[in-house]
Amino acid sequence: MATRPTDISLTPTRAARTSRWFVLQYRMAPYLFVSPFLILFFTFGAYPIVKSLILAFYATNGPKSAVFVGLQNFIFLFSDRDFHKAVWNTAVFAFWSVFLQLPLSLGLALLLNSRWVRGRELLRLAFFSPNLLGQVFVGVLFSVLFIPQYGLVNRFLHFIAGVPLDTKWLANPNLVMPALVLTSLWMYVGFNMIYFLAALQAVDKDLYEAATVDGANAWHQFWAVTLPGIKPVAVFVLVMSTIGSFQLFELPWIMLNNSAGPDQAGLTIVMYLYQTGFVTGDLGYASTVGWTLALGVLLISLFQMRVTGAWKGGD
Amino acid sequence: MRFPYGPAALSMLILSIISGVWLAFNPVPPKKATLVMWTFAKTHYDAYKQAIPSFEARHPGVKVDLQLVSWQAVTSRLQAAFLSDLDVPDLVEVEISAAGSFFRGPLKDVGFLDLTDRIKQSGLYDRMVQARFAPYTSRGRIFGLPHDVHPVMIAYRRDIFDQLGIDPNEIQTWDDFIRIGRKVTIPGKRYMLELPDSESSRFEPLLYQRGGGLFDPQGNCTMDNEIAVQTMLFYVPLVAGPNRIASDLGGGQIFTRAVEDGYFLCMIAPDWRSKTIEVDVPKMRGKMALMPLPAVYPGGRRTSTWGGTMIGITKSCKYPDLAWELALHLYLNKDDLAQRFRDTNILPALKEAWDHPAYDEPRPYWSNQPLGRLYAQLAPDVPFQYTSPFVGTAKGKLSEALVACVQYYKQNGDKGFEEFVRKRLKQSADEVRRLMRRNPY
Repeated sequence: MATRPTDISLTPTRAARTSRWFVLQYRMAPYLFVSPFLILFFTFGAYPIVKSLILAFYATNGPKSAVFVGLQNFIFLFSDRDFHKAVWNTAVFAFWSVFLQLPLSLGLALLLNSRWVRGRELLRLAFFSPNLLGQVFVGVLFSVLFIPQYGLVNRFLHFIAGVPLDTKWLANPNLVMPALVLTSLWMYVGFNMIYFLAALQAVDKDLYEAATVDGANAWHQFWAVTLPGIKPVAVFVLVMSTIGSFQLFELPWIMLNNSAGPDQAGLTIVMYLYQTGFVTGDLGYASTVGWTLALGVLLISLFQMRVTGAWKGGD
Repeated sequence: MRFPYGPAALSMLILSIISGVWLAFNPVPPKKATLVMWTFAKTHYDAYKQAIPSFEARHPGVKVDLQLVSWQAVTSRLQAAFLSDLDVPDLVEVEISAAGSFFRGPLKDVGFLDLTDRIKQSGLYDRMVQARFAPYTSRGRIFGLPHDVHPVMIAYRRDIFDQLGIDPNEIQTWDDFIRIGRKVTIPGKRYMLELPDSESSRFEPLLYQRGGGLFDPQGNCTMDNEIAVQTMLFYVPLVAGPNRIASDLGGGQIFTRAVEDGYFLCMIAPDWRSKTIEVDVPKMRGKMALMPLPAVYPGGRRTSTWGGTMIGITKSCKYPDLAWELALHLYLNKDDLAQRFRDTNILPALKEAWDHPAYDEPRPYWSNQPLGRLYAQLAPDVPFQYTSPFVGTAKGKLSEALVACVQYYKQNGDKGFEEFVRKRLKQSADEVRRLMRRNPY
């Protein structure tokens, strides 16, 4: 049996073997190596998670004044109109983001994967570049584009479709969500496109040749070869987009001028969590909101993975 | 010998070693200040920078570290710091809409020092506009000294008024204003007044003008009382429906353009906003003027209030007496206040300060009107504005009610409108009350 070189180099000498210090060091070394991670994780990860779970059962005025209320926070949550509104808004955003964003991303990826398109590198950069800006910058940019009377969006829509110039995208409760979805599309379509593009390039070319020999047209090839080939990446993008949508905060916060917008039309779950925890100071209730969000996202992700067959593996 | 992890990692390593060594030999000296003060307004910051040296000269060895901190940070970071017993400054200026949220929980847990006795014993309660203590009072205790009064007037395009033959002296009541407004408004091109239909920032001053408010002195939510209902019935037809005379486009550059284009003829303008207009719309110099707010009924109140700032001393301050002296130095020195008024247009809450000649100076931007005197004449009539830890929620709920009423009015007009307004305001108020009942403190 071959001996690993590390075993040779780490084998203690006879003299050293007698040293208790060396034995201790030898045993402790692995733990010492992983300790920086463990310390950081328990301090900034595990402790806050456990603490927030405990806080979810308290009514608080910050961490120093807390009254145990049992399940009252959860009971209140289910009758809290603001929370319902936040959940609805977030779900609508997630739905449109996912069902518009992913087909568009895939379509662009297919386009850029085609050998007939020229300047693919440049287009790839152009589509991806909005993601380099960050949500705050994009939020500021689009809040200017959407301004009534003088904004570029209204000027363009007025020119092509006669939409009134004073259409208030960010001050009309019915238009806030479309404005947010449009902005997020601009930002994330190119980002998801990169994932799809990488997946498309990894699909075995022989399969296409075989399908062509079998008489499959482009549409059949897409369904029978491309989609199964990119399925793991598609599931990943679907789950990550959904989770990202449920974590939405900066974009509406900036676009709606640090508020939830008219009639709370831009109130998201994370925004509600922030307002509850850090504006009104009720960390207990904010923890309840946070845990409900985490459980909700977990359930949705599990559901998506089950529906898409991601657990079956191998395909 | 080649570095095994490549040139990028090598350059990062070299950079971190160099910067580490540099920092080791050039440590950033910790600031040693006797008092640390936060303010969120650049104009306040600039003014206090000039006033602080004389305070330090009067107190040898005392050093004041004045910091400009964003409004967001003051409201959220300070709140979090109070709640978790972290380091907080000694003095803080807090914006009026956020002040109430600092008074949450038992009085003993409020992060600011109770200034009631100091204010009353020093006679400041009578020397300052009393209405301005209300937003900084909780359960009868005063936690802040008011920086300002912020009386509200109407800023208008004097040149267009002249062209249209409108005499502002004829506008005594809102009925007069609306009658003229309907004549001059051209939908989509020109509106008599700038008023939003999607949030309540300008609804509130009109509510206060009528003697209403979000809360009463005991902290009970009153946003569905008869005054609120009547204000909503008055406000919504101004911003919605076929006879509307008001519109809103937003702030910043769009506001500048709208005023320059004559899209708005009038704007609700507290003293601080008169400066904002001067700065944002410089081309309108000599073309703007101010008039008192129209009264609800003949002989009624011709002003209201919008915005405000308090200065508070935190409980963790090691030298509360010295901090109090600094607060008085910044808020009571008549000459400093006069200069600050020239720089910011903000009328101080100290009544005796208004005797200074600075308040009678004609302002070329405002068609040579004596801006300070105009605001000072209205200041004693500024309404009380009571607060609560739930003021942020109440403002949000009022905005929601406003949006719902606007939507209803757009679809149904006057039919059943009053009933809807009552129902919708009650719904919003009940939601605030429900949250208040949940509060175990």
